[in-house]
Amino acid sequence: MHQEPRAVTPRSTPTSVAGPPEPSAGPPALSAGPPAPPASAASSRSPRGRRGRGWSVALALLTVLATGGAVTAGLIALDQRDVAAEWQARAVALTDQLDEVDAQRQQALERLDETLAALTSSERDVDELEERVRALADEKARAEDTATTVQVERDVFIELSALVADATSSLDSCVTQLFELQTASVDAFNRAAADRPVDVETLNARASEVTRFCNQARTAAADAEAAADRLLRP
Amino acid sequence: MTTWRQRPVFLLAVIAAACVAPPTEPLVAPAAIEVEDRELPEIAAESTERRVQEVTVRVRSLGCEQFGLGSGFVLPGGIVVTNRHVVGQPREVTLNTWDGRSLSAEVAGVATDSDLALLQLADAGEVPVAELRPDPVRRGEAVFAVGYPGGGPARVSPGRVLGTVDGTVLGEPAEVIRVEVDIAQGNSGGPLVDREGLVVGVVFAIEVDAGIGLAVPVATLLERLEDGGALVAPGPC
Repeated sequence: MHQEPRAVTPRSTPTSVAGPPEPSAGPPALSAGPPAPPASAASSRSPRGRRGRGWSVALALLTVLATGGAVTAGLIALDQRDVAAEWQARAVALTDQLDEVDAQRQQALERLDETLAALTSSERDVDELEERVRALADEKARAEDTATTVQVERDVFIELSALVADATSSLDSCVTQLFELQTASVDAFNRAAADRPVDVETLNARASEVTRFCNQARTAAADAEAAADRLLRP
Repeated sequence: MTTWRQRPVFLLAVIAAACVAPPTEPLVAPAAIEVEDRELPEIAAESTERRVQEVTVRVRSLGCEQFGLGSGFVLPGGIVVTNRHVVGQPREVTLNTWDGRSLSAEVAGVATDSDLALLQLADAGEVPVAELRPDPVRRGEAVFAVGYPGGGPARVSPGRVLGTVDGTVLGEPAEVIRVEVDIAQGNSGGPLVDREGLVVGVVFAIEVDAGIGLAVPVATLLERLEDGGALVAPGPC
């Protein structure tokens, strides 16, 4: 709490004081008549007496003023000593507060440093984890690439397998029909050797049919080979 | 100038001042807190490098007879920008984000007069979006190429703009950006960004001899996005 020094005004001093009783010029004169009026008595005083009386009044006035001033100054001194003591106590209290605030500031700085270190560590961890995330994401993406490639290859093999199966089936049927034609031809030769009748037209028609069928099988095989070349080329 | 009436007061004030004893304990000014001396780490979540990686995706396109890998970046509305040559004649397009998510997309259109293509995400979800900078690049400006070179992890490559060159010989309708930056196959379709992470171009080619990257400026992209007239549906197999 700020305390302004108290203003002190000098005490009022008397503007005039009653002087001591004036000395008489001499013993009162005995007279039969009435006493003389005072005005006429003052006017009858000497200048030296008036001067002495003035000095006395001035001396008394100065004495009173000096006493009053000394008393006032003493009171002011005492009062200001108290004020100074209060200021000093306040300064000590402020210094204590300053020390306390400084200690709090030091603690705050230490906590700030700890927080900063933790933040730096956390951000380093985040960087490392993000790098790990990127690496894992890359592995996942590449695995998906592989899966997609495998899927494509599977589709290719399915298509190629179907073509090969078709060609194989056709060729197998061709072989079967060729065996049947061979059997029919052998039987025809045997019949001819035994001078028995042979149906040559039927045999020729069957041979033409087998030839056409086997040509289709060869076409299917060629298509499968071409598909393999197309699908399996690098 | 003091008058005779003020002199006693002045005298008393001098006396009073002389009587006050100064505090014995001097006040100590607190030391300044040197916070500015502390070097704060870059916050990963707020870094430009992180942000531009978030908006950049890896594009895997299964075409009729080819398997394409490239890059792209996401715009508001689930639109993804990439190169036409990355997704030509697609059967299936999949996008991979930097953090491992896989997103399905369809080709919304390919540009007829520029190496640009727009994809539409099936589910935009919470994918961060890029911001375009329509202002042209300046010669010497620092830029970054973001993408998945070689189909590998996301990479941010720093570089600088060398200038622009007539793009008609490259099949582009306007000038293209020449940039000195380390890019490779797989960067195609990726964004070219400025220091603030704003997209200024779309990487689409490399000058093989000089190793200089080429990028379609954002102005060309904005024309395709605004009118859409130069975009057509991808052709069948």
